[in-house]
Amino acid sequence: MICLLKIINLNYKIKGEKMKKIALALVCLYGISFASNYDPVKGQMLSLSCASCHGTNGISSGIMPTIAGMGKTTMQRTLMDYKYGRKTGTMMQKHVKGFSDDELEQVSYYFSKVER
Amino acid sequence: MMNRRNFNKLVVSSFALSMAACSSLTSVGSLPQKKKRVVVVGGGFGGATAAKYLKKFSPDTEVILIEQNTEYYTCPFGNTVIAGINDIDYIKHDYKTLESKYKVQVIHAKVKKVDGASNSVILENGDVIPYHRAIVSPGIDFKYEKGYVEGSEQYSPHAYKAGAQTSLLRKQLEEMKDGGTYVMVAPENPFRCPPGPYERISLVAHYLKNNKPKSKIIILDQKKKFSKQGLFQEGWEELYADMIDWRSVEFGGKVEKVDPKKRILTTDEGDVHADVLNYIPRQKAGKLAFDSGLTKGDWCPVNTKTFESRIVKNVHVIGDASIATKMPKSGFSANSQAKVAALQISRLLKKMPVINPPKLANTCYSLLSPSYGISVAAVYEAHEDKIKKVKGAGGLSPMGADEGFRMQEAEYAVGWYKNQMADIFK
Repeated sequence: MICLLKIINLNYKIKGEKMKKIALALVCLYGISFASNYDPVKGQMLSLSCASCHGTNGISSGIMPTIAGMGKTTMQRTLMDYKYGRKTGTMMQKHVKGFSDDELEQVSYYFSKVER
Repeated sequence: MMNRRNFNKLVVSSFALSMAACSSLTSVGSLPQKKKRVVVVGGGFGGATAAKYLKKFSPDTEVILIEQNTEYYTCPFGNTVIAGINDIDYIKHDYKTLESKYKVQVIHAKVKKVDGASNSVILENGDVIPYHRAIVSPGIDFKYEKGYVEGSEQYSPHAYKAGAQTSLLRKQLEEMKDGGTYVMVAPENPFRCPPGPYERISLVAHYLKNNKPKSKIIILDQKKKFSKQGLFQEGWEELYADMIDWRSVEFGGKVEKVDPKKRILTTDEGDVHADVLNYIPRQKAGKLAFDSGLTKGDWCPVNTKTFESRIVKNVHVIGDASIATKMPKSGFSANSQAKVAALQISRLLKKMPVINPPKLANTCYSLLSPSYGISVAAVYEAHEDKIKKVKGAGGLSPMGADEGFRMQEAEYAVGWYKNQMADIFK
C-alpha cells in the first residue's frame, strides 16, 4: 500500500506518456495485490475447452504450447495481454475475449497446479 | 478316448467358463451395488470424450461405452485423405487407451434403443444394460430424397461419415480422367461441419491442379451462402484461379433430381453431368435418437446446461444430434459439450449442484491447401434455454492476410488435430 501511495505521489509530478505508463503499472499492481482466491471447480470447468487444442490437462503433443505447469502469473499476464491487444496471435485473442479477467485468473491458477 | 480324469478337467473348466460368462453378464446386466453407472452410446467425438472425462472427473463411477465399430475414422482431416495428402490410417483411431488407461468398459455391439422408461440400454442381441444416467452421441443420418436413396452412396459417395466412404471418394477421384468434372451437392442448413464441404472442394482442387489440371469443379449449393465464404472464395481465386464454379441455390445450384448411378443432376438451369459426384444429402439426428424417442423434428432438444434430454429423463444427448444452437455441429463442439456433460453428470451423481453457467467453445480450422489454413472460433455460455455466444469473442481469420499467416494457421490445424485426437482417445 505504501508503495502504491509513493507511485501516486510521483504521478502528480509527471505528465504525458509517463503518466500513462504509471497508470498501467498501477492497474497491474492492483490486479496482483487483489488477486482472487483459487476456485478449483471454476478453474477446472474453464480449462476444459483449452484441452482441445493444448491437449488433455494442457499437455500438448502438437505445435501448440504445453500450458500445464505454467507459472500462474506468467499465464495470467499472457492471457491478459492477448485480451487487451498487447499481444497478437492467430487464435488466442479470439478465445480470451470470451472470458472475464477473473475467469482468466482462475484458468491460470488451474494450469499452474497441473504437473507436466 | 476321454478318461475320467480328463472328463473331470473338462467339467471343471466348462463350469469355470460358464461362471465367467455369467459374472460378466451379471456385471453388465444389473446395476453395480455400490457404484453409479453411466452408459455412453456412440464412440465418436462426443461419446468417446464423455467416457474418458467421466472417468477423469469421477473415477469411482462405472463407465460403459457402447460402440458398434472397433475402429473410428474421423471426418476432420478426412478431406486430406480424399485429396491424397494423408493415408486413411491417419484418420483411424481406436478405443484401447480408453480401456487400459481410463478403465472405461468398451462394448462393441449394436444398440437397439435407449429405453428411458426402464433406465436401460437395449442391445440388438436382446441384452439389457441398466444405467443411472446415459449419454447418447449418435451423430447424424441422411434424409434420402430426389432420387438419392440408401445405397446411392456406392455410386455417388457422400463421404460425410468417414471410413469406407472416404476411401471410395478418394478412389473415384484418382480414377477420374484429366479434364473430368467433379460435382458436389452441398446440403441445406443445418448440417454437420458447416465449412466441411468447402474445405473438401479446396483440397480436391489442390489435387486436381497438381495432377489433372484440365479438370473442373462445380458446387451445386442448396443454400444462398456458406461458412467462411469470403475467406474460401478469396483463397480459391488465389490458389485455383477459375477451377471452382460455386452455384448458389438461387443461381443454378438448386437440384431437383439426381441419378446417382449415371451421375446426372437435374437443376432448374438444365442437366449437369459429373464424372465424380459427391452428393451430401440433408441431415437429421442419428437413427438411434429417433428409436429412443429423443427427437423433436429432426434433432434432439436438451437442457443446455447439462445436455440432459428435454424429453427423456436421465439421458443426455451431445454432439451433432443435439440442438445446441448457437454452437455449430462440429467435432470440436461435440468434444466441448461432452466434457461439460461429463462434469455436470459427475456432480449430479454426487448430488452436487451443477455448474452454472458452464462455458463452451468451438474452433474450426479449414485447409485450402496443405500450407493455407483459415479458422473461425467462438466462446459460448449456456443459459436457461439457449447457448449464447459471448459477445466480443471469437471471429474469423482476417481477409487479405499474408502467406505466412495462412501457413501458420495450416500448421495449427494439424496441431489441433493431434491434440484433439489425444484429448478424445489417449
